[in-house]
Amino acid sequence: MRILVVEDDEVAAEYVRKGLMEEGHVVDLAGDGELGLEMAKAADYDALVLDRMLPKRDGLSLLKELRADGDKTPVLILSALGEVDQKVEGLRAGGDDYLAKPYSFAELLARVEAMGRRSDPTAAVTKLKTGDLEMDLLARTVKRGDQKILLQPREFRLLECLMRHAGKVVTRTMLLEKVWDYHFDPQTNVIDVHISRLRAKIDKEFDTPMLHTVRGAGYRLQV
Amino acid sequence: MLAPLKRLYKNTVFRLSMIAAGLFAMSSLIVLGYIYFATVVSDLNRVDKAMELEIEELTQIYETQGPSFLNQIIFGRAAPKGASDFDNNTFYLFEFYDEKGNAYGGGNLPAKRFFADPEKTPFWKKIPGLKNNNSREFDYVAATSEDGVKTIRRARGRLKEFLPSGTKLFIGKDVENIMAAGEKVTRALLISMALAISLGLISGIYMSRRFARRIGAFNKLATDVRAGDLKRRVPRNESGDELDVLAEHLNSMLDHIDTLMTAMRYAGDSIAHDLRSPLTRLHTRLETAGSEVKDEVAREALYKASDDAGELLRTFEGVLRIARLEAGERREILVPLDPSLVLEDIAELYEPSCEDAGLEFALEIEGKHTIRADRGLLSQAVSNLVENAIKYTPRGGAITLRLRKISSGRVEISITDTGQGIRPKDRDRVKERFVRLEASRTAPGSGLGLALVDAVADLHQAEFELSDGPGGESSDRPGLRVALIFPRIKRAK
Repeated sequence: MRILVVEDDEVAAEYVRKGLMEEGHVVDLAGDGELGLEMAKAADYDALVLDRMLPKRDGLSLLKELRADGDKTPVLILSALGEVDQKVEGLRAGGDDYLAKPYSFAELLARVEAMGRRSDPTAAVTKLKTGDLEMDLLARTVKRGDQKILLQPREFRLLECLMRHAGKVVTRTMLLEKVWDYHFDPQTNVIDVHISRLRAKIDKEFDTPMLHTVRGAGYRLQV
Repeated sequence: MLAPLKRLYKNTVFRLSMIAAGLFAMSSLIVLGYIYFATVVSDLNRVDKAMELEIEELTQIYETQGPSFLNQIIFGRAAPKGASDFDNNTFYLFEFYDEKGNAYGGGNLPAKRFFADPEKTPFWKKIPGLKNNNSREFDYVAATSEDGVKTIRRARGRLKEFLPSGTKLFIGKDVENIMAAGEKVTRALLISMALAISLGLISGIYMSRRFARRIGAFNKLATDVRAGDLKRRVPRNESGDELDVLAEHLNSMLDHIDTLMTAMRYAGDSIAHDLRSPLTRLHTRLETAGSEVKDEVAREALYKASDDAGELLRTFEGVLRIARLEAGERREILVPLDPSLVLEDIAELYEPSCEDAGLEFALEIEGKHTIRADRGLLSQAVSNLVENAIKYTPRGGAITLRLRKISSGRVEISITDTGQGIRPKDRDRVKERFVRLEASRTAPGSGLGLALVDAVADLHQAEFELSDGPGGESSDRPGLRVALIFPRIKRAK
């Protein structure tokens, strides 16, 4: 993916750039809002990582300008202001995702990669398929190979989220946000418990496990 | 009727003005006493003195010239001087005794017509020894009109007994004018006193209501500031009086606090910016290094270090989150919502965890309710409480999450477990930050869970109560019941 990072903190920007490049992405940096807007307009990026507080032009105004221009590049907003209402404000301005500082790089990577694919028209999808695992979003059924798998509604949404991001890491925080709509981190391993239930249903009786735990980051559904 | 009086009595200014009115009444009584003394009593003394001098003179005449000459003198002196000159009227009354000891009248006026009504004269005014029992102070009939209406006037008298014959001489003087003047002064003073007291009462009520209004502004400010509205100030009237000065001081104090709070928040944000970021990088670097290193021992060490850094970060974030909640700036995010939806989601989230921990989990929802809350914060608070219950309840126990209406329209969310419980003396303490009880030292956790719940409860103006669980007080494992009690929702204005 070709990613533009607009961030005035040079250390943080370099850290993000290095990390993303190690994961095989092409990264450009912009140190202020004006430059960021110029670069975003000039080139076709797959994703934008945008700090909220920037010199010359703040992140939200940049984003509004970009959206007014008809640019639909997915944008991940970064901010030290991590409260929920700030988040709502950011999403309303046209952001696709919001990440509060401090974030772990794994979280940022997972979100950027999840977002990059969001630009694909997935809205019309009625069936998801990962390896021999199939999900019918209309009939709300799941099959692995020939075997039907019965899931609770929440387990269904959990698996749907993982399948939409198949092959990529999905963090616990992302799952909490997307599946439960919670924006806080529980102190206990409550997500792991749900994952292990799901794993018992989709992996237990099969030869190859599909649902993997990625240490320090989250989970990945992979063939 | 009684309630406003009671409220009035509680008002400091009203009480002060009541005391002032009382003191005023007392001092007016003293002044009244003095004026009465200066006018009436001294005049009466003068009259008494004059009578004594006259008795002395008459005694001399009696002793040197005998009773019949005295009688003549008296008749001469007592010649009528006209009804208008009552002040100079002197009455003389003799009681002469015959050989058998019977008295017969003498003097210038017959006794029976003279004294108004001996029967009605009170005993303390009577002088024993005078046959018709009249006294130093007496009423007499000054005139009788043609249709029989008597004019009664007041007088004072003195009695003298001439020994050895036993002849008694009584002389009296009219004091009606002195008494009437005294009464006039007294009445005027009493009326002015009553006027002053009732005016004092009215102005006291007025002043106290005015004062109560101004003090009310201070109290309103205090509650608002306590609720987190640091921008409020006391309205000033610029009169420069004590209350106005107090308002000025309070306002400048609040300005100062506001500045400090802003500075503190800025410092907090700076810390967040400057400290959390490197900490996060440290966390990620350790994690990355751990995943890249080949040596098993080194990897384990790096992972452990990374977990510690993660723990630090979470604690840090928790502290900042609580601080932000406690600043109370976000009350406007509260919206009316149905708490049962929140609880159902939480129950669904934690049911598997409970099952894994060998705990029975029940969700009991009684009725349909609406509270003012923020879904995210409420979820987090309840989630903290459920996690605590899971952590501190041994295998085989039970956890109940319940929603119900309690008295006066308040809504209660409670979490009950069958664990160790918390002793009553520790129940307030555990709500503070970083407080962990001895029994839970070894369990994982930062000691921020209940502090966050407390902050969330505060923001929602909800009560946060800890009590014994189903085991009861005497049991060695009483369990714990934690309740969040939300105020009755107010209709939108």
